[in-house]
Amino acid sequence: MLQYETIFVTEPTLTEEEVDGLIKSYDQIVVTPGGKVLKVEKWGKRRLAYPIGRREEGIYVLMVIECSPQFVKELERRYRMNDQILRHLTVRVENEAQLGPSPVMKPRPIDREEIPSDPAIAP
Amino acid sequence: MRTRESGGGQGRGAKKPFKKKFLFRKKKFCKFCDEKIAFIDYKDVRLMQAFTPERSKIFPRRISGTCSRHQRKIMQAIKRARTLALIPFASD
Repeated sequence: MLQYETIFVTEPTLTEEEVDGLIKSYDQIVVTPGGKVLKVEKWGKRRLAYPIGRREEGIYVLMVIECSPQFVKELERRYRMNDQILRHLTVRVENEAQLGPSPVMKPRPIDREEIPSDPAIAP
Repeated sequence: MRTRESGGGQGRGAKKPFKKKFLFRKKKFCKFCDEKIAFIDYKDVRLMQAFTPERSKIFPRRISGTCSRHQRKIMQAIKRARTLALIPFASD
């Protein structure tokens, strides 16, 4: 059993319930063979950095799961089959920090000052 | 601004003969080693943006001073963030 972090980006037109339905269906792939879902994080609608098939926005969902490698394969296969999923990524969890809330969910103003303080980057 | 002892203070040591052409250049150091950051998160959009300035190219080591280990991690993280459309591949 290994821990994985998986993110998928769906069409912006999906409703809240449809997204929940998707999450549930992917949950089942993991839970049915005895895996665990450790975290589900809905980032909501975000602007894409570049258009994907003329879409400017996407709905991001992050899941941290624990299962055997063959079910990750199945999960990825499902992602590819679904046309509503624009992008997906599954990686191994290397650090406990990944189990906490991700930086996207944190409020902004604190790390605003951090970036320009880097002497090489500051203008 | 942070300064390092090796950075050379102003005025002091100016009379010493230096081999190098640049007398007062602040020594570069790896930001991540300094802050003891072991894991670089690709989901940290702000950090990713800080390392892909202007045209969204990966900030080179020779300018940022990042050590090779952390540069590799940054590179990996930026590429992951790009596939998820969190940061752009190119912009002008």
